[in-house]
Amino acid sequence: MKQDLYYTKVQQRMKKGVLVLDGFLGNDKRNLIDIINEDNETVKRLGLTHIIIAEKLDEFREVGLKALEESVIYKDHFEIKAEIFRGKLPCPFGEKGIYQKSEITVINKKINEQIKYSDLSIHLIKEHGFYQGIGSPYRLDPKKVVRVLEIS
Amino acid sequence: MSIFFSSVLAVTSISSFLVILILVIDLIINNYPNFDININNKKTIKVEGGKPLLFALKDKEIFIPSACGGRGSCGYCKVKVLNTSTPYLPTELPYLTDEEKKNNIRLSCQIKVKSNLNIEIPESLFSVHQYETKVLSLTDLTYDIKQVTLEIEKDQNIDFKSGQYIQFEVPPYKLTSETVYRAYSIASAPSDNKKIELEIRLVPNGICTTYVHQYLKVGDKVKINGPYGEFYLRPTDAEIIFIAGGSGMAPIKSILLDMKEKGINRKATYFFGAKTKKDLFLLDLMEDLMKAMPNFKFIPALSDLNADPDWQGERGLITDVVDKYILSGENKEAYLCGSPGMINACIGVLTKKGIPNEKIYYDKFA
Repeated sequence: MKQDLYYTKVQQRMKKGVLVLDGFLGNDKRNLIDIINEDNETVKRLGLTHIIIAEKLDEFREVGLKALEESVIYKDHFEIKAEIFRGKLPCPFGEKGIYQKSEITVINKKINEQIKYSDLSIHLIKEHGFYQGIGSPYRLDPKKVVRVLEIS
Repeated sequence: MSIFFSSVLAVTSISSFLVILILVIDLIINNYPNFDININNKKTIKVEGGKPLLFALKDKEIFIPSACGGRGSCGYCKVKVLNTSTPYLPTELPYLTDEEKKNNIRLSCQIKVKSNLNIEIPESLFSVHQYETKVLSLTDLTYDIKQVTLEIEKDQNIDFKSGQYIQFEVPPYKLTSETVYRAYSIASAPSDNKKIELEIRLVPNGICTTYVHQYLKVGDKVKINGPYGEFYLRPTDAEIIFIAGGSGMAPIKSILLDMKEKGINRKATYFFGAKTKKDLFLLDLMEDLMKAMPNFKFIPALSDLNADPDWQGERGLITDVVDKYILSGENKEAYLCGSPGMINACIGVLTKKGIPNEKIYYDKFA
C-alpha cells in the first residue's frame, strides 16, 4: 500500500543507526504502513487488541523489574529477566515521551519459547500497533507473543 | 515520441526554475542579521540569526545538554525563553508538559533565533566547555564494562566535581551516518584536570557503546563537553551510604577518590550489587580505599544465589543487603547510582529506615 509522507518520515527514523544501531525494521522491505496493517490483521484474527497485548507485556515487565535485574519465576513456568541500561530512547513516531533503554526477556518454560522486548516496544504496540519489521532484534510476532505469554 | 521528450523537458525546466526560485527566496527571507541573547540578565552575547538556539549558543561555547545532538528526539535541551513570539512547534510539544509551557520552556534545538532573546539557563552551564581529547587507554573491567581514559589536549583543563558527568560525542562511523551524544559519569578524581576516566557498559543495540567497545582505539581523538549534573558529595558531617550496580560504580568511585585525597574521613559504607563474581570489578581499588580510609567499608553482594559457590561475601538483592546493614537512618545521607528500578527500591528501604527523601541523592540511568 502507498503510504503518506508522515509514515515515510517515520520509516526514515526507523532505519539502522538513526535512533538505535539496528533500527526497527530489520530486513523488512515492506512499507511501514504495510507492516502495521498486516500485524493489525493478525491481532484482529486472534480476537485481541494491541492494548491487551501491550498491557500483558507491561505486566511481565513490572514483575521483572521488581527482581532488580535478576531472573525471576512467575506463575510457575515463566522466567523473566528485565535489564535496564543507561539512557533513554524517543519514539520514532515522534510521540510524547522518552523510554528507558531496557531488555526484557520472558521464557515460557512449558513450551520452551522466549520473547525479548523493551520499554519502547510496549509503547510502539500500545500506541501505534507496531511490532517492528521482520529481522529486527526486538520484532515481536503477534502470534508468538500471544503463545509465549498465554494471552487469551 | 517528440511529445514525450517535450513534456519531460518542460517538467524538468519548471522543476529547475522552482528550485532556483525557492533557493533565492530562502536566501532573501531567511537572511537574518545577528541578534543579542541576554542570559539570566547577566550576560549578553551576539549570535548568528536564523540558527536553532542550541547551536547559536554552542557557537559561543555555551553548551545545553542534548543527547541527540539537536535532532529534536531526546527532549533534554530545555531552556526558558522569556520573550519569543514564535509559537510552540509540533516538534517541541511531545516533550513539554503543560507546566513547562506555562513557564515558557522551549526545546532549544527546535526554536530558531529570529529576534533578540532573553533566556534563563542554570548558572552551572556557564562552566561547561567542549574539550578535544585523545584516548590514552582502554581497559576491560568486566566482559561488558570498559574503562576509557581520555587525555585533555591543548592548553585546556577540565574542572569538575566528583560525581558529575560529561557528554561524549560519537562521530559518524561504520554503523551510523550521524553524530550522536551520550552522557557518562566521570569515574576519576577531580584533582587530575588533564584526564578523565569513564566506565561504559555495552548496551544491546547501542550506537555509542558499540562504538566505544568495538571501534574506539588508543590514540583516537574524542570530543567531550561538560561537566554537568547535581550528583556530588554534600559538605555535611552525616554518615554516607553509597549504593550502586554495574557502571553505576563510576561517580561513586570519583567521589571516594576525592574523599581520600582531601582527607574526608566521614563514616561511609558502599553497597555494590552484582549478579555474579564476573560482574564485580575494581575490588583491589576498594581494598586500597578501605586501608586508606578507616571509616570506609565496601560491601559487594551477589544477587545470583546459586552462582559462585566459593563466594564468601554477601548474597541477595542489594535492597536486602542494605536493609540488613542499615539499622537506622539517623544522621545519614545516601548517594545512589543505577537503574531506576534499583534506585526506587533502595529509596523505599532507606526512607523506611528514617532517611528523609531530601537526603537521598541519586543518578538514575537517564
